[in-house]
Amino acid sequence: MSDTVNDTMPATGLLERRGAMRQLEGQITGCTISRDSQQVAFATGEGDIMVADRADWGQSDAWNVMTVHDGAVLAIAPDAAPTGFLTGGDDNALRRVAADGSVSDLAKGRRWIEHITTWTNGKGGVIAFASGKQVELRDADGHTTLKVLEHPSTVSGIVFDAKGKRIAASHYNGASMWFVQAKVDTVRPLEWKGSHIGIAIHPAGEALVTSMQESELHGWRLSDGHNMRMSGYPSKVQSMAFTRNGKWLVTSGADTIVMWPFFGGGPMGKPPAEAGGLPGVMCTRVACHPVHDIVAAGFADGSVLMADTGAQRILPVCIGGSGAVTALEFSPDGCCLAFGSEDGRACVVDLSAK
Amino acid sequence: MSDTVQASPDAAAQNTLVPVTVLTGFLGAGKTTLLNHILTAQHGRKYAVVVNEFGELGVDNDLVVDADEEVFEMNNGCICCTVRGDLIRILGNLMKRRAKFDGIIVETTGLADPAPVAQTFFVDEDVRGKTRLDAVVTVVDSYNVIQTLDESPEAVNQIAFADVIILNKTDLVDEVALATIESRIRSINAVARIHRAQRGDVPLSDVLDQGGFDLQRALEHAPHFLEDTSHSHEADVTSLSYEVEEPLDAAKFQAWIGAVLQEQGADILRAKGILNYAGEDQRFAFQAVHMMADGGFIGPWKEGEPRVSRLVFIGRNLNRPQLRRGFESCRAK
Repeated sequence: MSDTVNDTMPATGLLERRGAMRQLEGQITGCTISRDSQQVAFATGEGDIMVADRADWGQSDAWNVMTVHDGAVLAIAPDAAPTGFLTGGDDNALRRVAADGSVSDLAKGRRWIEHITTWTNGKGGVIAFASGKQVELRDADGHTTLKVLEHPSTVSGIVFDAKGKRIAASHYNGASMWFVQAKVDTVRPLEWKGSHIGIAIHPAGEALVTSMQESELHGWRLSDGHNMRMSGYPSKVQSMAFTRNGKWLVTSGADTIVMWPFFGGGPMGKPPAEAGGLPGVMCTRVACHPVHDIVAAGFADGSVLMADTGAQRILPVCIGGSGAVTALEFSPDGCCLAFGSEDGRACVVDLSAK
Repeated sequence: MSDTVQASPDAAAQNTLVPVTVLTGFLGAGKTTLLNHILTAQHGRKYAVVVNEFGELGVDNDLVVDADEEVFEMNNGCICCTVRGDLIRILGNLMKRRAKFDGIIVETTGLADPAPVAQTFFVDEDVRGKTRLDAVVTVVDSYNVIQTLDESPEAVNQIAFADVIILNKTDLVDEVALATIESRIRSINAVARIHRAQRGDVPLSDVLDQGGFDLQRALEHAPHFLEDTSHSHEADVTSLSYEVEEPLDAAKFQAWIGAVLQEQGADILRAKGILNYAGEDQRFAFQAVHMMADGGFIGPWKEGEPRVSRLVFIGRNLNRPQLRRGFESCRAK
């Protein structure tokens, strides 16, 4: 832990004042919040899901733990419906965990289900999951297969655009973009040599960005396919997120919170901004607040910070004390920050006005 | 990254890393039989097994992962730097339930080149942070091996890369043939340990915990092969071993080996050395897979151990006298 942080920050973080923590067996592999912002769910390497109801965010002994997968839970996402979650595991199963805690099977394949993402506009919705080289799209009911999209190598990340019209997948040598509702599937290949290990899309659809094995980011301007390169990281970028207005792409991979400007001609030829950090400690997870210009970042020593992208103010959520932060999310209404760590800590911080 | 010599993690950190054993060998050599022998033996240890999709037989284990052997080239300017991206992903996910097993065994397809697997452990920071490559174990079918080596460069690579070679199906050939086979294998790889077996029945201590990429144990089993000086330039894969008695200048050696790996890395499958640096009480260990190198001090010389620098290359198109002159030019004045 760094002295500079202690010197400039209050002694206690938000977790102590407005949060609750529960220690689980096994690594926290992911966390997410339901679309109605009423439930937080954590997933573990032991196959468990833990759900915290909004009324119990401050009381971790009331959080409900259930075993959902035989093996590690590799992916978790909010269901396309207002409530419930979808989980994927190394038991090759896709399951639905409803708000009442009931679990149902949606799919069982031959490969690990490593990525799940959902989209909804409140009326209809689409579920997407990646298993090996395939991305399968299903109707919001979870049982009707809309299409199966084949890729040249294993898919490392999937993302819908904000309108749910297109889905993009990262893999070796680039990314593939598909129209969700197309009668005939024609891929838009976005090519760049190398191994792409994660993906994010600009909220207004201006750019698609992938993380690369060589500790850099690659991007494509979607209007004309122009290539963008964002490099200089000391380690791989495991986590990235656009701010709500698309002005910044916030990423992990350095000992500061790195933010690439997507305005004024950027990110081409522009240096990234840094929204604070912990000297010598790698940032491992980032999340962007859905309402305010605030980002959250988790670090390799278990620390979590929140930072104001405009005013450069930093607010500690918790400082150090455990394994690397492996999961970090804001709720859709912005009232909750949830995070988990490699050594099994699961935390919920209530950010709502009291 | 390609030609730098990185400091290696200390010994204490090495012990907490999950050991990974890579099992290679041609189709029909008996990889899966050996794998099942390892898994069913009474050792009280649990293994996660990564198999390829063309596996010969069923694997009898709780935790089996199908892999696709997806190799890609790193964008770091060295053409031979290929990596198994699927392995980075699979090992990363397996480590999420670290408590469930004691080691990992990766079985490759019959035609696979072991280099991308080994290089994965040099290149990826997360793989290095959680696991360590213990050894490349190559299973060889005694009955077919000579013909296979004549016909297939992949088979030669698998022998050249191995830390351990299991000479399987020895019941199908006689002692004279076995001696011929062993001498042929030795001419390619003089450093690997060779164990004879039938139906993969080798003691597990011959296969697991070999420390083949552990600098602490580099050249632990000293190669003692006759210098064949009749050829100065070997087109085929061969092992070259050098010794220098005078202490070396560390900076000169680093510069020389860096240049050698940069220029000939594509042809050098593996290199290992124990070096006696002038003014240092500790031994310096060095290893490389193609252009990727790794090195560090590994403690003082043992009592009565001759303080000589030894270096072994396994590769093709290697110029014996040129490498010798280069190595000797690293002597400290």
